[in-house]
Amino acid sequence: MKRSWRGVLLMCLVLFLNIVFTQKAIHQYYYEHYVATIVYAALNVILFPIAVWLYRVERKVR
Amino acid sequence: MSEKQPDRNNKIPFEEDNYTHNIRKNEERRLDRRTFMKTIVGAAGVFAVSTLPWGALAMRELANGGEKSYAKAAIPGSAGLRVGEAVEFAYPSEHDTALLIRLGENEYKAYQNACTHLRCPVVWDGGRTELVCPCHHGFFDPANGAPTAGPPRRPLPEIALSVEADGVYAIGVKRYEA
Repeated sequence: MKRSWRGVLLMCLVLFLNIVFTQKAIHQYYYEHYVATIVYAALNVILFPIAVWLYRVERKVR
Repeated sequence: MSEKQPDRNNKIPFEEDNYTHNIRKNEERRLDRRTFMKTIVGAAGVFAVSTLPWGALAMRELANGGEKSYAKAAIPGSAGLRVGEAVEFAYPSEHDTALLIRLGENEYKAYQNACTHLRCPVVWDGGRTELVCPCHHGFFDPANGAPTAGPPRRPLPEIALSVEADGVYAIGVKRYEA
């Protein structure tokens, strides 16, 4: 059986971006850049539906 | 499987939809490709929820409008402080601890002493003339609060001071200039 690793790689990218945006949001909060904090928090929220969509697209790939 | 069903032997793929015939180890399916993707979807949800409070706090700060006002407060023990010594005090609220350091005859510096890595209390090392976080060995420059070594990446927030005849007063927390 040949697997497709595209979904795994894309999911790793999602997890990586999650970690980066979380770190950025917290640091920008302490730097008192509140607009940037909201932008990073929103990006983190947007990643969740993207992850769900990726899972639906990639789960049946053979 | 193949010994009992010679007619199915070597027919690849087998007539099954879950490909369990190629499992070689116990519990190999516990973290297969699909389960991994499911885990990441769950993690993405957890990350999204965990950053929401930070967004809410930032919105509250924006709604309050930029500049904060701070009360002027005398620093207990500052009058008798000798050069090279430090004293701990609470500012701006009683729950925020801070450190006043006398670097020279007329040179005082004060920083909030929660380490910018994981908020351990930073202490003054008079012998090495450095601010030290004992938890993970973070070091800060007493002249400007910038991290010089260890895990912290952000400077300590500096407290604005007013030096008067009867002691040193804290008058506010400086904004980061970055």
